[in-house]
Amino acid sequence: MQNDVALLGDGPMISVQALHDDLGWELKPEGLCRDDVCVLIPDRAALEVGGQIDAMAVAALLDRPAVLDQASGVAAIGAQRSVRKRALDDLQAPDFVLPDLNGTPHALSDHRSKKRLLVAFSSW
Amino acid sequence: MQDELADHNFQVIAVAIDENTEAVRGFMNGITYPVLMDVDHVLTELYAISNVPAVVMIDEHDTIVQPNWNAYATDTFKHYTGIDSGEQLDIIRQWVINDTPMMSVDEAKTAVGDLSAEEEQARLHFRIANHLRGTGDHDGAARNFDRASALAPHDWTIRRAMMPLRGQDPFGDEFFALAAEYNEAGRPFHGVAARSTK
Repeated sequence: MQNDVALLGDGPMISVQALHDDLGWELKPEGLCRDDVCVLIPDRAALEVGGQIDAMAVAALLDRPAVLDQASGVAAIGAQRSVRKRALDDLQAPDFVLPDLNGTPHALSDHRSKKRLLVAFSSW
Repeated sequence: MQDELADHNFQVIAVAIDENTEAVRGFMNGITYPVLMDVDHVLTELYAISNVPAVVMIDEHDTIVQPNWNAYATDTFKHYTGIDSGEQLDIIRQWVINDTPMMSVDEAKTAVGDLSAEEEQARLHFRIANHLRGTGDHDGAARNFDRASALAPHDWTIRRAMMPLRGQDPFGDEFFALAAEYNEAGRPFHGVAARSTK
């Protein structure tokens, strides 16, 4: 599992490959798909322009926040809002993957079936 | 705490909302549980965290039984905060050993307000700023840090976290100005205050 946030260094127009690698979705005739879930695309021409995919349109369709820094061309796309809403409203803990101090990735779900104390802290 | 409760199917996971690995390592002498680095503040987006420390208790079934509690729940930070975590540790023991959480399910479900659209966007601009800082685009970093600050002026994971990244003293003038501004705004916070149980 990969965190569902993305930073796009070359602007919001991305390849089909990057749609899969960076955003985790595939463009299929039936819509935007991941695993066995597909989201219908109301306006395909707005999403797919000249063989490139508009990541901002993808984000809007998937209810993910997105911003574009025009001057640098860097775009950032957040997680689907439903993930946080499930945490706040239904108390379902969102999974995540982060590296430890040696760079080894850990997931919350690595410790499934344990009681877990998640402590967010900082040095600042 | 991890050692004491290890026999109770219990795991501490610490997440640094931070990009300074060496500073975090300094806190962590002798720690045996995972200490993770969240440079992009992913956790603050997924869990609606606006200040640290924030403690989340998650049970065996991935259910959050205690959201975003502003508790100094490990003694790791006691020397740093000066806050006696004894009472808070008792609350955690009660849950781990006796399965009695601090809040009811209904209380937990309404304890934390969702992020606003501005607070979401601030997190994204913070990520862009951090990225541009890494590429040497300092003007771009400053532009996006400024944007993040304007969007989420009372969010410590935005405002305070960026201070060392901008070469500002985290205990200097900017910090005291931020603290005053925050107090004036009524100390808004996506979470449960440290002493809410009493």
